[in-house]
Amino acid sequence: METGELLLFHVKVGDQVKSGDVLFEVMTDKIDMEVEAPADGVIETLVGNPGDVIEIGKPVLIMLTETEVMAFDFGGDAAAQVETAAPTPPPVAPAPVVAAPVVVAPVAPTPPPVAPVVVTPVLVAPVVQPVAPVITPAPIVAAPVVTAPKIVNASVKAVPKARVEAANRGIDLRTVHPTGPDRTITFSDVNSAQIDPAVLKRQAANKALIAKGIEMTRGIAQASFNRRAHANFDHAQLISAWAKVLRGRPDIAVHQHVGVSLIIESKYGSALPVFRDPDLISVEELRTLVTTTSDAAKNGKVPIAMLSGGTTTIFDLTTYSMSSATPLLFPNQVTSLTIGYDSESTKNISLTIDLNICDFYDGALLLDALIASL
Amino acid sequence: MSDRMLTMAEAVREAMSIAFDERPEVFLLGEDVGIYGGAFGVSGDMYHRYGSERVLDTPIAELGIVGAAVGAALSGMRPIVEIQFSDFTAQAMDQIANQAAKIHFMLGGALHVPMVLRTPQGSGTGAAAQHSQNLEPWFASVPGLKVVVPSNPADAKGLLLAAIDDPNPVIFLEHKLLYKIPGRDPVPEGSERIPLGVAKVVREGKDLTIVATGIMVNKSYEVCEKLAAEGISVTLIDPRTISPLDMQPVYESVEKTGRLMVVQEGPAHAGFINEVIAQMAGSSSFGSLIAPIKRLAGMNIPIPYAPQLEKAAVPQIEDIEAAAREIVKNWR
Repeated sequence: METGELLLFHVKVGDQVKSGDVLFEVMTDKIDMEVEAPADGVIETLVGNPGDVIEIGKPVLIMLTETEVMAFDFGGDAAAQVETAAPTPPPVAPAPVVAAPVVVAPVAPTPPPVAPVVVTPVLVAPVVQPVAPVITPAPIVAAPVVTAPKIVNASVKAVPKARVEAANRGIDLRTVHPTGPDRTITFSDVNSAQIDPAVLKRQAANKALIAKGIEMTRGIAQASFNRRAHANFDHAQLISAWAKVLRGRPDIAVHQHVGVSLIIESKYGSALPVFRDPDLISVEELRTLVTTTSDAAKNGKVPIAMLSGGTTTIFDLTTYSMSSATPLLFPNQVTSLTIGYDSESTKNISLTIDLNICDFYDGALLLDALIASL
Repeated sequence: MSDRMLTMAEAVREAMSIAFDERPEVFLLGEDVGIYGGAFGVSGDMYHRYGSERVLDTPIAELGIVGAAVGAALSGMRPIVEIQFSDFTAQAMDQIANQAAKIHFMLGGALHVPMVLRTPQGSGTGAAAQHSQNLEPWFASVPGLKVVVPSNPADAKGLLLAAIDDPNPVIFLEHKLLYKIPGRDPVPEGSERIPLGVAKVVREGKDLTIVATGIMVNKSYEVCEKLAAEGISVTLIDPRTISPLDMQPVYESVEKTGRLMVVQEGPAHAGFINEVIAQMAGSSSFGSLIAPIKRLAGMNIPIPYAPQLEKAAVPQIEDIEAAAREIVKNWR
């Protein structure tokens, strides 16, 4: 079975749908079936027409979901690589698909891009209005595809003016080929360094995002705490431990579930897959899930069901050798964690809290509890 | 303006003579400054023109000479001391560093010491280690002293007149090799002063900034001319007064050229010119540097007697030229 005939749509462009709503009906040589929405969202585009014979894996419609995924190339290359989010149909099902726009395409093979470029989007708010489930028509800010700059020069030596120039132009000196004595980056090395046009586009997009993020987070009183932790932990342990801590404080974790967004960088931007109630499964199970999800996100696939429902966010800076950062809260979240590199055996854990929900004392308790449980 | 091309010895003598004529309280004292006309002939015929009351031959006793001058200065005179070789100031250092430089401050500003101590310094005369030193940092590191290092006759005249006017003790370091050669520029007639603490931009260029003191200004100038013919243009700055030090022109120039080279005759270790580097490194102009700062200075050795070794111990024109070429070529 390789195709199915689209019989009819149950929705039209602009409709708001809830997870489980019937979107369209499809007929195959074995069965007729109704295809349901895999998540809450808004119908953006109907790709096919009733009567069309559509290949398996091709998009039928595009819907926008409430999502924390930011900065994906919605209009560019990535849009062509829509994700198949078939909601586990019956074994015989022809698996016609719902096309989700929020999809990442192939991952950068090289180390992460320039720190400022990567960090910046994290400082901004998610791209949806906090009042879910109403979704604005164009909630996803398109960002250009970025090719991760090639690091040619890990231990940077540069003359002072080269550093000034690089900082002004947002150039990562690690990507600049040094021509000076003792492999020192000269001023002209920086001057002639080409900035990837995609980076420029993305920087522009980030600026827009930051503006939007500031607009959306205005009025949220926030406080940040920082503690050094003598602990080695992986993402699964951290996610699990943090979810447990939050679950123990329903006054702070005000949502009905605990959804931990883990920020994963891809060359398209930051993906934020959400691990729902991760403390209710074993750490081993969670570890497998985190690994597969992270790999998938880096490789351009985030399951649509994991794109929403975050109630807290974790950003791991250690891969950038950064010691700390203070992310703004996402408007619908009360807490945000950042893990920074301190030494081989210690990490800096920073917690930002919403002072409308909890106070400084709560913040300190949360951070203590997390570190104690790691 | 005149077109008189004087040597530094003649220019210094002219400045002293003008001061003698202007102020009766100015007098000169030192070893052999009188009848002999000075070890390097700087005072020349002044003994015969002004008499033994104003041009005093002293015993060979540097501490006593400077002590007498300090006392005279405190009493309202304006003594000019000549120490035959700057190396011998070591003998007089208590009077210089502990008395002349401090009295004004120890007595709440009630008294001041308007004394000028002139002394020839530097290598290149085959006079060996005890008569060839460059001791600029000794004096520049004593608060309360002003330190002048003229590089040419015209500056020497104007700066010495200003030094004699100055109410503070001023150390005036003349290079022996400059005494007998005319400067590039004519020495003006008249009594115009050159203010202390103002650097001179000797020439302007866009590729490199050289800061040099004393005789190194002259050597660097020749390098500038040579490089200019090849299209490398150099800004040459002569601080003229090393204490107080005028860094502003250096900052302004480095912001244009991005490259800084400093040249001094004295040993590199703890030398005066390091102060220029330190101030640059701590300034907001630091970010303009496109090259590491290059320092050319004397070796950290006593000046050798053998002529070839003596020459090799301090920067020569070829050294300055090679270093300048390299910094411009390597750092772009």
